[in-house]
Amino acid sequence: MITTPDLIESLVANAAPVRRLRPPVARAGGWLLFAALMIALLAVSHQVRPDLALRLRQPEFVIGIAASLATGVLAAIASFIASIPDRSRSWLLLPVPALFVWVSTIGYGCLINWVSVQPGSLPLGDEAGCFALLVLTGVPLSLAMLIMLRHAALLAPTQVAISGSLAVAAVTATALSIFHNHESSAIILIWNFGTAVLLVVLGGAFGRRMFSWVSPH
Amino acid sequence: MSPTSHNRGPDLTLVAEAAPRSDRESPAGRELDWSIYMARAQGGDREAYRRLLEDVTPYLRSIAARHFRNSCDIEDVVQEALLTVHAVRHTYDPARPFGPWLVAIANRRAVDALRRQGRSRGRELTLETEHETFAGPQANLAEAASDGRVLRDAVEQLPPGQRDAIRMLKLQEMSLKEAAEMSGMTVAALKVATHRALKSLRKVLGRQDRRT
Repeated sequence: MITTPDLIESLVANAAPVRRLRPPVARAGGWLLFAALMIALLAVSHQVRPDLALRLRQPEFVIGIAASLATGVLAAIASFIASIPDRSRSWLLLPVPALFVWVSTIGYGCLINWVSVQPGSLPLGDEAGCFALLVLTGVPLSLAMLIMLRHAALLAPTQVAISGSLAVAAVTATALSIFHNHESSAIILIWNFGTAVLLVVLGGAFGRRMFSWVSPH
Repeated sequence: MSPTSHNRGPDLTLVAEAAPRSDRESPAGRELDWSIYMARAQGGDREAYRRLLEDVTPYLRSIAARHFRNSCDIEDVVQEALLTVHAVRHTYDPARPFGPWLVAIANRRAVDALRRQGRSRGRELTLETEHETFAGPQANLAEAASDGRVLRDAVEQLPPGQRDAIRMLKLQEMSLKEAAEMSGMTVAALKVATHRALKSLRKVLGRQDRRT
């Protein structure tokens, strides 16, 4: 085993100048800007759902989309703040109120639309399109978050990964509800939220390992 | 890129050197020093970095000692904390106090080490002295105990006169006179019996040695 004074010597020998991180809120802003850019690009390449103007006049749709967007923004800010060693882990609770509202709107949507669910109302082709959209937004956003938060690998990988996945999932869900031209049937809502839960679970299960690939050494 | 171009914040000056000695030894003064050293180290000042790491090592050791008793474990945690400080030194913001930043890292490494220890304890067994064995047969106490049993068995199989003589003279360490009084045999007869007993024991044990 190397002795501690020797270790200090070798660390000092490797002490190249480093670039200080910007404030976490500014970095979260950078990531959200990237997310906005991604959604804008998708809006150009895909078509925004044709009934968007009509849907934006329905309060439950507006509340739902605002809640998922707020969850994404707040979860991103929470991840960037909590990834700094001396900041409190309580910051991770920041998106919880917005998440609660989002889950409530989904629950409400399920309740009032339950009767309207008909078998075969969701064609198979649309599910594939839905999935493609999900991957197109989710993967670049996850990678960007992973690289921006790589220092968290040595500090609180699991918590930060869960919070980061929630940010990605909520932003992706917002994108889905802008682009997906379907009635907000219970199936769509469950699909929408199910993928969000899946992303968060994957983040919790593999976040530590993914961080260890990109962690600074 | 020159080292100064990495500093985003306002230029920092080392004010603590001008401060009186007593002030520097207080925890607040010490932490201010560390904060300034780290800010300089982020810009590539190796001397400040060395002083910082040497200064914080005893502090890290005291944090590790809250979780571990073994000095090897404590030193492991200290070294891992130093490595982490090195790897994430860009996350330190000189506008904030240095202490909580360092303590958070040290606690993180201590908890990791505790978890690792918990995992390995479930699978591994510490080697105790009684598990040890040596190449030389004399060193293994368990072997000696079984040798003693073999000898007792061999004594048991001797003819009665020889067996009593060996027991009294060799195992109970009586004198010839005492043994003669107790057994009613003459001293000369005892001597002969002992001599014969030793001879046949040598033969019996020698045979067993060859067999094993």
